[in-house]
Amino acid sequence: MRRKRGAVASRLAAISFAGVLALTGCAKDSGGDNGAEGGGGGQPCQLAEKPPAAQGGAAEEKEDNEKVDASKLKVGLAYDVGGRGDASFNDAAAAGVDKAETDMGAPNAKETTATATESEDAKRSRLRQMAADGHNPVIAVGFAYAESVKQVAPQFPETKFAIIDEQVEAPNVTSLVFAEEQGSFLAGVAAAYKSKTCHVGFIGGVDTPLIQKFEAGFVQGAKAAAPDIKIESDYLTPAGDISGFNDPSKANVKAKGQLDKGADVLYHASGASGKGVFEAAKAGGAQAIGVDSDQYNDKTLKGVRNVIMTSMIKRVDVAVYDFIRAVAKNDVSTLPERFDLSEDGVGYSTSGGKVDDITDVLDGYKQQIVDGKIKVSDKP
Amino acid sequence: MRARLLPPALAIVFATLLCSVALLISGANPLDAMSTMGAQMFRGTTAVDTINSATVYYLAGLAVAVGFQMNLFNIGVEGQYRFAAVVAAIVGGAIELPPVLHALVIILVAAFAGAAYATIPAILKVARGVHEVISTIMLNAIAGGIVAFLINPEQFGVLSGNSVSTEPISESGWIPGVPFGNAGTVFGFVVIAALLGFGYWVLLNRTRFGFDLKACGESPTAAIAGGIDAKKMAFVALVVSGAVAGLVALPEILGRDHVYGINSTTGYGFTGIAVALLGRNHPAGIAFGAVLWAWLDKSAVSLDNIGIPQEITTIMQGTIVLSVVVAYEVVRRAEMAAEQRRVGRALADEPAGVREGGAV
Amino acid sequence: MSSSTSDGAADHPDAVVLSGITKRFPGVVANSDVNLTVRRGEVHAVCGENGAGKSTLMKILYGMQQPDEGSIEVDGGPVRFRNPQEAIRAGIGMVHQHFMLADNLTVRENVLLGAEKLFGIGSAARKRLAELAERTGLRAGPDTLTERLGVADRQRVEIVKVLYRGARIVILDEPTAVLVPQEVDELFDTVRTMRDQGYTFIFISHKLDEVRALADTVTVLRGGTTVGTVDPQVVSSRQLAEMMVGSELPSPDTRESTVTTHELLRVRELRLDADDGSDRALLDQINMTVHAGEVLGIAGIEGNGQTELVETLMGIRKASGGTIELEDAEGRVRDLTHASTRRRREAGIGYIPEDRTRYGLLLSQPLWANRMLGYQSRPPVAKGQLIDRGAARSSTEEIVAGYDIRTPNIEVAAASLSGGNQQKFIVGRELSCDPVLLVAAHPTRGVDVGAQAMIWEQIRQARHRGLAVLLISADLDELIGLSDTIRVMLRGRLVSEADPARVTPTELGEAMTGVSEIHQAEVPDEGVQG
Repeated sequence: MRRKRGAVASRLAAISFAGVLALTGCAKDSGGDNGAEGGGGGQPCQLAEKPPAAQGGAAEEKEDNEKVDASKLKVGLAYDVGGRGDASFNDAAAAGVDKAETDMGAPNAKETTATATESEDAKRSRLRQMAADGHNPVIAVGFAYAESVKQVAPQFPETKFAIIDEQVEAPNVTSLVFAEEQGSFLAGVAAAYKSKTCHVGFIGGVDTPLIQKFEAGFVQGAKAAAPDIKIESDYLTPAGDISGFNDPSKANVKAKGQLDKGADVLYHASGASGKGVFEAAKAGGAQAIGVDSDQYNDKTLKGVRNVIMTSMIKRVDVAVYDFIRAVAKNDVSTLPERFDLSEDGVGYSTSGGKVDDITDVLDGYKQQIVDGKIKVSDKP
Repeated sequence: MRARLLPPALAIVFATLLCSVALLISGANPLDAMSTMGAQMFRGTTAVDTINSATVYYLAGLAVAVGFQMNLFNIGVEGQYRFAAVVAAIVGGAIELPPVLHALVIILVAAFAGAAYATIPAILKVARGVHEVISTIMLNAIAGGIVAFLINPEQFGVLSGNSVSTEPISESGWIPGVPFGNAGTVFGFVVIAALLGFGYWVLLNRTRFGFDLKACGESPTAAIAGGIDAKKMAFVALVVSGAVAGLVALPEILGRDHVYGINSTTGYGFTGIAVALLGRNHPAGIAFGAVLWAWLDKSAVSLDNIGIPQEITTIMQGTIVLSVVVAYEVVRRAEMAAEQRRVGRALADEPAGVREGGAV
Repeated sequence: MSSSTSDGAADHPDAVVLSGITKRFPGVVANSDVNLTVRRGEVHAVCGENGAGKSTLMKILYGMQQPDEGSIEVDGGPVRFRNPQEAIRAGIGMVHQHFMLADNLTVRENVLLGAEKLFGIGSAARKRLAELAERTGLRAGPDTLTERLGVADRQRVEIVKVLYRGARIVILDEPTAVLVPQEVDELFDTVRTMRDQGYTFIFISHKLDEVRALADTVTVLRGGTTVGTVDPQVVSSRQLAEMMVGSELPSPDTRESTVTTHELLRVRELRLDADDGSDRALLDQINMTVHAGEVLGIAGIEGNGQTELVETLMGIRKASGGTIELEDAEGRVRDLTHASTRRRREAGIGYIPEDRTRYGLLLSQPLWANRMLGYQSRPPVAKGQLIDRGAARSSTEEIVAGYDIRTPNIEVAAASLSGGNQQKFIVGRELSCDPVLLVAAHPTRGVDVGAQAMIWEQIRQARHRGLAVLLISADLDELIGLSDTIRVMLRGRLVSEADPARVTPTELGEAMTGVSEIHQAEVPDEGVQG
């Protein structure tokens, strides 16, 4: 008994020792030769062998210069909670519409926004009202609209619906889904390369299968780059409570907790809550990876952009733009089934130049995924 | 009667004025907003949606009102209904029974689960004196965790696309609605809610239990002296409140969704508090409050559709509740004073009786 | 407003002049055209039955309420008080019937609380406090905890409190209600001494002997207006009483005895431990028997366990030891020691609580709903688990008619009735349900003389029919007049027994304070006297 307690005590001491090392590592902004044994301590990772460099450019740029006129389209856009200005997912959709306006002359889109505690019938009403008012196409941003689209689309067979992030089978519904796990894989690789403590963290907004895809890809990528890496993972709210996508203060606390444990690169997939993660990273001298859009360039995040080393870009804007374009051309069959790395539907951003030194590595992994040599799982 | 109807009327007028000011400040035209809100009532599915939401709110309001009757603030309706919903949906999806019976079992399971979840704060209150507000708030948070755990695919949930929900309930467990063509379908549960409201009224006004409940709420000391076991009443009131709360999500589960999932709406418990306050715990009042609240909720979508900030409806809801509470108190005092004056006047008219009435 | 007590105005012969005061107040009796002139340096008694408007008038003088009409002059100058603070600044202080002291503070802290600005909290304050304690005869030290003080000392602390704040005109609201006769005498001595030092007293009372003993002038109020101002030396108590009531004065005499040998309530070795965990007993060795047709009176200074005794008998508190047995209407003897309040009531105990608004009524509910309180499990009100509203209403009508409750109808809220009518309603409710035993705690406290007579008469009639009554009262006249036997309660025990036919209030008072036993009774402990 006594012996055992002694053993526990010494282990605790070792852990706290490692913690102290990690902290000093952070403070000095240089890890390395502190003499702590093994990976996972306060030093950079033992990196796995780099993938072969990518051949040529990533994916083929499919230039499609055909001029498309969308001026007759009355686009209706139903945002998820947060709406335009959430600096993330909804804003990406907004960017796509904005681009459609400038490039194709689509008139101002009708934009409506969900509230946090609304019931299913409110979502249906929203879609129905837009369709009834003659909006076509109607784009539902977010998987929360899945059931509503399924119900409302058949009532308006002449209207083209699109839903982002969810697969809905109906003749007049286009599902715009992404391979988030693939983009997140690259975020994981970047995090592993940039971590000075070989310790990274993931913060998800709501514990749903969709966000778990981000986590799965991130973890797989980080482990692929550094097998010994330690990964923290937290969700802000359990499934069923969508406030996790709109709660920066909670995200801030969670992020701080991960930093305190020793993580120094945080990846978030938490919508508008992400701001809290960036602020925590700034306060803790750590780095963070944005999500959905290129958050480095986001005006609302100007104050914290310096900690955003890259963003896992989910080209919702591209999907929305392509969809509007396809509708204008009256041919939605050309849209890819899934916006993945090969379609540049997901990717990483380089604004700020903080990952410029490892783009070869990232592009290498990307090529391997595109080529199918690495299969990224979408389940953690 | 005047005392009952005047305060909500005043409150609504006041809230409308306040919201108009807010709209003007934000640069929108209040008349547009109001006419849109009025017009949408008769357009498309709004009326049906309003009734459906009101059904849900009504149940939540009743659940809260049961507690209010004896000054118990059951904030935990939120947790109780979510817990009950997920349990009932799991049980309903797992069993196969003939129609009617299937639905009945689900309803009973929900009521029982809600009651069971409310038993925790009830025991804490009676045995340890823990205030129900504190315990139920905490249990709300815990309920969120329980729901997430139970609908996890590793437990009882099923994954469909990006959404997780319970196993769908087969058709025998559904409660058919009343179809209104394109306008949608009114939940069949509306009938059950109405019956429940009637039952609540009978319970309060025609039974000993109701009398004991109201007596405890009005004056615990007088209730105890009158032979009422106040602790037992507190326990029973919380559990009954929980049982009613257990039914809150059923209109949607049995009438529309047939599952309980991560996309299922939260917050009905809190709406229930507002609705019960609006309705002054009276079954008809709660019905009015529920419909008003639902209508404002639906207005939000329409307002957003014409580009008016939908938050205006939230402001309106908040102001209405606040002003109703204030107005009721003002009117109650005025009525009490008026009644005392009436009594005084009635007695002044018969001064002879005062002197002669000394002994019989 | 801030006229200090020593400026020129103080020479004015009249300390307070109230003229034409009218207050339309939501209640039964308002003040209408009340005139009152209090001369400097006198003790001016204001008499009247409860509900006559005394309290309203004093609240107006003390700034707690504003008159609708009329004027107030203090020291010759017109004033208008919006709140008690302004009255205090004008030199008016009020000693309330219910003390407003914090038990867990010392005497000094209680006095200084809120008046720190006057003399600070240091030695100046101490000096002033000692001076006033001397003047008012307060013997307790300034650092004694208030909870350790007796009632008389607490009252003196209250007086010191108002004097400390500079009062020269002191309103004493029913100051003797809580005192035993000896303490009353001491209080009166103090008041007389202070009067001679130049203080002015307004003495609210309905105890006429006391008024005659103390006051220099008496003003009688009836029905909210002044009946007249008289010199107590030239009018008799009876005349005063008739001014107050406007008719003949009732008396609580029981006349002939109806006591039988039939034991209905038997209490043996009843004990109640304090719930603060100490082994102090709130009730100890309580043995008593109440027979059919007997009124057993319990005398005692408040706070000696009477409330606890009542609550233990009613099951509101659980006895720590002993037994309580009651023979119900069917003649079965029931052991009620562990029974719930409801079962006790169902066994036939009627209960008139000492605080009717807190324990006896649901104030915002209509009268017919109040009719059900305590009887909701029995016919005629209950039909199984349901409530028979029709029966409840009709039996309420009967009570209202039979007990002369003055109300326009039975739908009004209980709170709308005057205190006397509320109490009559409670008495009617409890007696109309044919109880075996009536536990009556202060049944006529705070009710007017008319209602008092009516309540006494009802209790007497019920006793005649064989009702057993346990009467707890602070009104010694009531106890002596109504009881067949009197037991004295002191520190949670029944210490002595007296025959109301022979005992005097003074003797009772001595027994209540524990000064002496009553030696007149060779009655055996549970004896029945004729």
